[in-house]
Amino acid sequence: MKIPSKGKGPNKTIKKTEPTPLRIFLTLAQINTLTLGGGYVIVPVIGNSFQKQGWIDEEEFYRIFSRAQVFPGPVALSTSFLCSYRIAGVKGAIAAVLGVVLPPFIALILVGGFISLYGDSELFKRFLNGAGAVVPGLVGSMLWKTAKNRKWTARVFIEVGILAILLILFPSAAFFILIGGIVALYLGRLLWKS
Amino acid sequence: MEILKISLAFFKIGIVAFGGGWSVVGLIKQEIVPNWMSADAFSSLIAIAQSTPGPIALNAATLVGWQKAGFLGALAATFSVIAFPLLAMSITMAFSKYIPLKKDLADESLRSGSMAMIIMTLWTLLPQNTLPGPWIFALASFGVTAFTKVNGVWVILGAGAINMLLGVLP
Repeated sequence: MKIPSKGKGPNKTIKKTEPTPLRIFLTLAQINTLTLGGGYVIVPVIGNSFQKQGWIDEEEFYRIFSRAQVFPGPVALSTSFLCSYRIAGVKGAIAAVLGVVLPPFIALILVGGFISLYGDSELFKRFLNGAGAVVPGLVGSMLWKTAKNRKWTARVFIEVGILAILLILFPSAAFFILIGGIVALYLGRLLWKS
Repeated sequence: MEILKISLAFFKIGIVAFGGGWSVVGLIKQEIVPNWMSADAFSSLIAIAQSTPGPIALNAATLVGWQKAGFLGALAATFSVIAFPLLAMSITMAFSKYIPLKKDLADESLRSGSMAMIIMTLWTLLPQNTLPGPWIFALASFGVTAFTKVNGVWVILGAGAINMLLGVLP
């Protein structure tokens, strides 16, 4: 097994440990407490940590990650769930779910109390208004990054365009448009290969 | 009853939560605004969900549940939103041998669906008026996060701090 070492620090040795449910929980809980940002920030951190403990190699981890993206739900959750199932079975998978879900949950309960205490302060409101104003920009950049990495055939363009227009026109039916749309696209691709 | 409604809404969101955090934010907004919460309150809530650790969809669920029905509401929303994804993964793992799906085709279809969701999310989140302030914040943050390696969290915290000092946004 070859594990790529990334320059920094000469003594980055692999401390091989047994992947017990408790160790999986503690590893994921620590990462999810300390790492800000969305799934695509957290997933590589999880990968490094699992590799360093000798639980999984890089190729296998990213193979599972690409499969995890197919499932609904946060990709940090699905990747942790599928990887931990692979290395430690059902107990590992349960430990992974708790490790991903509990730390932010507890943090937010504390923040929630804080907000109801300070929600009326003028400075705090200003802070939240400023922070909220950049959200469309962040979604736009996410769209930009996904679009950049895709092969834009006429087919993809039409698929995305029609689905997006339907979703914007009939937002209350988003649920059915998305499920029906994905099934239709799959069947379309199966029947008419471009 | 409130808790049951929250559970049901977030279970439904969990079923279609493809494509990572932001498309899920759009779905949650669809369910929540304006019945349970105003658009402005929702935007601040998303800003908090993004600037705290953990997946944004989970954090948003926790916060909405908390606002609506306290601790039990938060607990119900959080576990409802992950219930279907966990179920789907468990079932798929158990039966993966028997599913004759063409993986690459399914993957491409899912990616198209997820992009359409992000577009819809962006559409619903765009500023509702022509005041320059919100557009400047949105465009500047797009520029920074799309073309540099700066983490979105810093952009959020920075924009909050700037507006706290200058108060340029209403």
